[in-house]
Amino acid sequence: MAGSPFEPYIESLRQQLEEQDPVFLIGVIVALAVVVITFFLKYFLTSKTVRTSVLLVGLCDSGKTLLFSRLLSGKFKRTQTSITDSSAPYKAKNDRGSTWTLIDLPGHDSLRPQYLEKFKSAARAIVFVVDSAIFQKEVRDVAEFLYVLLTDAVITRNAPALVVACNKQDITMAKSAKLIQQQLEKELNTLRVTRSAALSSQDGSVGGSMYLGKKGKDFEFSQLPMKVEFVECSARGSKGEDGGDADMELLEKALAKL
Amino acid sequence: MLDFFTIFSKGGIVLWCFQGAGVTESFTGPVNALIRSVILQERSGNSSFSHGGLSLKYKLDNEFELIFVVGFQKILTLTYVDKFINDVQLRFRDRYKNELEQKGALKLLNNSFEFENDFKVLLSVAEESSKARGPAGMRTFEQSGKSQKTVKSMIETKGGDKGKEQGGKKNKNAKKEAPAAQPAKGDQDKASASGQKMVENGNQSLTAEEILQKNREEFFRKHRPGASEKPSKSPKPQKPKGKQNRVWNNGGSSTRDLDYSDKNGNGSPNGAEQNLEAQFDPEMQPASMKGDLLSVEYESSDEEEMEEEDEEVVIRETSKPSSKKGGGLFGMLKGLVGSKSLTREDMEPVLEKMKDHLIAKNVAADIASQLCDSVAKKLEGKVMGTFTTVASTVKQALQDSLVQILQPKRRVDILRDVMEAQSQRRPFVITFCGVNGVGKSTNLAKISFWLIENGFTVLIAACDTFRAGAVEQLRTHQRRLNSLHPPEKHGGRPVVQLYEKGYGKDAAGIAMEAIAYARNQAFDVVLVDTAGRMQDNAPLMTALAKLIAVNMPDLVLFVGEALVGNEAVDQLVKFNQALADHSMSDKPRLIDGIVLTKFDTIDDKVGAAISMTYITGQPIVFVGTGQTYNDLRSLNARAVVSALMKA
Repeated sequence: MAGSPFEPYIESLRQQLEEQDPVFLIGVIVALAVVVITFFLKYFLTSKTVRTSVLLVGLCDSGKTLLFSRLLSGKFKRTQTSITDSSAPYKAKNDRGSTWTLIDLPGHDSLRPQYLEKFKSAARAIVFVVDSAIFQKEVRDVAEFLYVLLTDAVITRNAPALVVACNKQDITMAKSAKLIQQQLEKELNTLRVTRSAALSSQDGSVGGSMYLGKKGKDFEFSQLPMKVEFVECSARGSKGEDGGDADMELLEKALAKL
Repeated sequence: MLDFFTIFSKGGIVLWCFQGAGVTESFTGPVNALIRSVILQERSGNSSFSHGGLSLKYKLDNEFELIFVVGFQKILTLTYVDKFINDVQLRFRDRYKNELEQKGALKLLNNSFEFENDFKVLLSVAEESSKARGPAGMRTFEQSGKSQKTVKSMIETKGGDKGKEQGGKKNKNAKKEAPAAQPAKGDQDKASASGQKMVENGNQSLTAEEILQKNREEFFRKHRPGASEKPSKSPKPQKPKGKQNRVWNNGGSSTRDLDYSDKNGNGSPNGAEQNLEAQFDPEMQPASMKGDLLSVEYESSDEEEMEEEDEEVVIRETSKPSSKKGGGLFGMLKGLVGSKSLTREDMEPVLEKMKDHLIAKNVAADIASQLCDSVAKKLEGKVMGTFTTVASTVKQALQDSLVQILQPKRRVDILRDVMEAQSQRRPFVITFCGVNGVGKSTNLAKISFWLIENGFTVLIAACDTFRAGAVEQLRTHQRRLNSLHPPEKHGGRPVVQLYEKGYGKDAAGIAMEAIAYARNQAFDVVLVDTAGRMQDNAPLMTALAKLIAVNMPDLVLFVGEALVGNEAVDQLVKFNQALADHSMSDKPRLIDGIVLTKFDTIDDKVGAAISMTYITGQPIVFVGTGQTYNDLRSLNARAVVSALMKA
């Protein structure tokens, strides 16, 4: 019964459509389809679910793969130098129980840039693993990698949370997180002077076109647009089987992350 | 007898390991060294590697992304190792197929792979088989291949095969033209195989008359085009295919390559603009080189072109005239959809083409072939995704490995290192070495200009005491640099000074004095210029090695020009060899970095960069792109690789 008042309208609509040129009709339909498809694509591509990975980066031999194994399964596994990335879903131990993908990138200098390129846009947080025991010798390399990370255009745009994990705390000579933070700030201060001098006088520079922190003031991690945190951990633990230390701090950070 | 055996994933997690009885050292170190020097440097062609007293053999499983490594003492020559690794690989794959097929790393972590028993069984089998084979007995004559052959086939005349045919033909002709001389032998000619008599015939064919006949035959053969094509005619079945296009070596595979109008349109305006810019620089603006160097500029808009090239390659492959035309098309379609694992035969043609392409781009020949071997090893057994062709997979893998080779394996930041040396109150010493005429002095001047721009003081040590005018050249550079950066602006002292002791003196001594002088006068950097020398000139190489060993510079830079082709390999190998041989210490100073000069003279034939980095494993620190002070750049690996892979 409800159909009857509509029927004449439908009839007239149908008649009108039939009067129209079929080619015109097809054109209209195609245009509508294109609009709908574009809408869907836009919706799917820019949805928040794209940035759900947590990247484990760091220099070679800093303990990323072992940390990866500890976080996912809690077991101690022997590791070798990675030459490709490994990824696995990780269930955070927070109230909401959110899961993301944990990705372990190789740290070797010749592989680093290409894997970073591949995964940086999907990063929602970056865990930068530092070998605290030999940090003094490697300060400049660590700082350079960190500088490259922080001045990358995609990363500064997305501003993923940065957690600097000072690994290998089980070794007696390991430096504390506070010391590492201070040293890195000093080093990055020097680096940005040498690197950014080129940027102001030349156009079309290579690499990151960002000036870290604020001009005129010494560099501090608090000046960055992203949240930076320094935590201590030990993936190996005291005897090689325990690794309780590894998870505690990081997990709490994971809790705080959105 | 094995020291250890490990199975680990390419992501770095060790799945299973075995350590031989009585072996206490951990194998992590040697295996890491194997990974870093062989796999990451794309030297996977040879599958064995020695580290200390250990010899390591490995096998890549590309389908499941695993690496199998076995280590044993170098002095033992174990013959069963290769086959053993293959057996272990097959057994492991079969047993753990389900776990390995999972894409994520979780299964790898959670499973413990209990492979002990299988391994022990395989090991005992392999050891047994190696012991069981006794010395082989000698074969009797009947068993050998020699008795099967006819004597006629073993006769070697000068022309090889043609000679044999010729011999046959000539004998027949000789029979026709000189029947009277050898009627008996002519009869015997008809019989094809008749042992001794044929030998006699063959021998006697070298009498004077036959020689004349033979020469006449050859003469006629050469001047009769019809007859000469006979032996070199292509096999008959191809005739019905119609006329085959003549293939020119340098003409490319399609007429598209011969059309240079596009290239000129894109290439030269940019080049011309760059040149004009350089000329418009009025006297090298003093502040233009501050900070880090620009990277080498290249048009990087070639992605679309590359896709077109891929399609062309695919189309060309399908349209190649071969008897398996239908099969080829179906195979291509089958390869496009569904997962197909790559085999060597599939990759061969593409790899050949890529190798030729690389060689055409001025990569040294044996390096190109080693690279292609390494890429083949990396891809063997890999499962391709849908809608990817063999060609595109191989191209992508080759591109990735080229970028990987060009990426520096350590941090390259000269300014930071100079600052570090400054804080330690010692000068930073850079030594330039290379063969004659590559541009050492010119690039030394450019680098000192760059350092001055960044606020450092430079001392140039003129250790080229041989070439006429070398010291004067450096003095001229010093004067120009000082006029560009007058001492008044830099605290009253000249930014560049030249330390020279004239000609004919000992270079190593001058260098040592220069460094001491720099330390006293608190110079930041010392640039040591040496004489150019050929790599096989032993006394000069000894002198260079002595200079470097005695003075222990912070950076030894090898200056090589981008125009060099296969010579680059020889130069670098011999230079490194000389430096290693003549140094007294057990950790000799080798070449630490490469300066690639005359980069503006090569268009896109940038292969020399690959050859040099591949041979030494050291990064390219500077790129010289011209002859003025501003023409100094740093290397951009992606741009160079895209220029290399372009068309």
